[in-house]
Amino acid sequence: MRKKSTKYLKPSLLLIGLLAFMLWGMEGTAFAKKTTILSDTNLQETINRANAGDTIFLEKGLYQGAITINKPLAISGEEGAIVAGDGKGNVITITANDVTLTNLTIQNSGEDHEDSGVYLDKVENVNISANNLVSVHNGIYLNMGKNNEIANNIISSNEGHFSKRGNGIHIFKGEGHTVHDNTIKEVQDGIYFDFAGKVDVAENVIRDSRYGMHFMFSENISAIENTVSGNITGLMVMDSARLDFRKNLIHHQFHFRGFGVLIYDSQNIILSGNEITQNSVGISFEKARDTEVSRNIIAANQVGLEFRHDNQKNLFYENNFIANIVSSTIGKEELHLDNGVKGNYWDDYSSHDITGDGIGELPYKAGSLYDNLLKVQPLWQFYFESPAMQMWSKAESMFPSMGTVDVYDNKPLIKPVKLAANEQEAREGSGILTLLLGFFFIGISFFTIVKGRSYI
Amino acid sequence: MKKCLVILTGLVWLTGCQEENYEPVQIEPEIDVCEICNMSIAHENFATEVISKENDVYKFDDLGCMMEFLEEDYISEEEIAKKYVRDVSSGEWTELENAYYSYHEDFWTPMANGVVTFKSKEAAEEYEQGAGEVYDYEKLLKHPWSWKQ
Repeated sequence: MRKKSTKYLKPSLLLIGLLAFMLWGMEGTAFAKKTTILSDTNLQETINRANAGDTIFLEKGLYQGAITINKPLAISGEEGAIVAGDGKGNVITITANDVTLTNLTIQNSGEDHEDSGVYLDKVENVNISANNLVSVHNGIYLNMGKNNEIANNIISSNEGHFSKRGNGIHIFKGEGHTVHDNTIKEVQDGIYFDFAGKVDVAENVIRDSRYGMHFMFSENISAIENTVSGNITGLMVMDSARLDFRKNLIHHQFHFRGFGVLIYDSQNIILSGNEITQNSVGISFEKARDTEVSRNIIAANQVGLEFRHDNQKNLFYENNFIANIVSSTIGKEELHLDNGVKGNYWDDYSSHDITGDGIGELPYKAGSLYDNLLKVQPLWQFYFESPAMQMWSKAESMFPSMGTVDVYDNKPLIKPVKLAANEQEAREGSGILTLLLGFFFIGISFFTIVKGRSYI
Repeated sequence: MKKCLVILTGLVWLTGCQEENYEPVQIEPEIDVCEICNMSIAHENFATEVISKENDVYKFDDLGCMMEFLEEDYISEEEIAKKYVRDVSSGEWTELENAYYSYHEDFWTPMANGVVTFKSKEAAEEYEQGAGEVYDYEKLLKHPWSWKQ
């Protein structure tokens, strides 16, 4: 990310230099003037008077009135500098390239669909960082444009139900943006990708909203090391392609219609090294094609993995399925849950490794008769883990002829996969650690059961 | 005693009523999700509903999802009692057949289908300075939805 900004520094400097040179020739104004203003100043007038390349510094205080920035300016503030809109339209509209906006509190936008704290209208190389956006419909709206950077902002929307709020960051079309280290909470959707092209999304925290990240008809997006928690659904992927999710933490999506990750009618999705824990459903696939799911921890969810409708050419390997109440529920089609060499670790797998190669001799069969019963009689969830159901499931696993659909892992792993994050810890004191980890997961599963049941 | 009887007959009459007139059912954004695409129905005025003769209610977040539901025969035409859509500005429920629609590929809708619903023809014509193509029900049926391709 840092690299990118320096890459664009040169042309922008050149542009500023060129502009300054032109202005020098005309009226001899000083190059890149810095103006410090007080809160009773009319900010829009200051902007109108400023020259391209100037810096405006806002002292602590309230700057009332929506503003439009139509030339390359750097606007920053002392702590406590507040730019407040009029409760109508956007608070700050940016219509020029190379604008920088830092250290401001931005509040009070309108409530229409596109009304935002900061609205970037078809611009390039704009940097919005370390701002605090409150009581706005959308936080930051990128309408088309290219190569903008959104970093270190804290964004929350209006009070009230999520259906009345806007999105934290809304990216409509455009490409080449980087979005990193933002904290987004209490909005409708944290980051909404609306026909967006190439975006890098890293190390953001998104919580207490409807969807953490919402992808609609978007492509070429990579999301790395984000934390998504306490939303209805963590990652809502719809009609999108070529998305790359790595090392994200996706937890506590416990809404009764919630999912950690839902992939709907999408293709070429990579999910690798993520921790997907304590969600109603860990990962759900519906009409997903060409996905690769590997080396994730999928733990303590009510349902670990779910398939609905037709899913094709999806690869699963080296995932750890631990302490999910139900490891997987399955759709109607045949599926292989291994890549031919290695499968996944399933803690409810009960066969043995006789050959000692780390792979169980009998295939792990996903889904149970119980899941199929639930589809017909949802209320039977009440009998979950009852002795009768356990016996039934056991009988079914022994006599596969009673079987459901053929979804199986031919190469189930006997031990959990050691993933990069916990490899070091494992080396230090594996015995005690394993025991502690065991207790931890038992704790989580009790918690899940109690919490799960209290929803019924 | 008489009072009781009046209330009782009243109740019977009420329940009897409910089964026949298939009124649109209120959207609960916290709970309702689209039958087709799983999205929660956050933009209430874009919601649509199919009510079956057995009083089952199917809710959708976008007109496009309802049209998919209808054309892909999730339930048969004979089982359906009413199909409802909402006026985008007032949220007033109208039957699918009686509403007007405006389409432009850039119009925002929850599933990006670009078809927006109105109670009156005038409102459809005036939407976004008349940028869209105005449909009645007949024309709506011929619309090339994205899921058809």
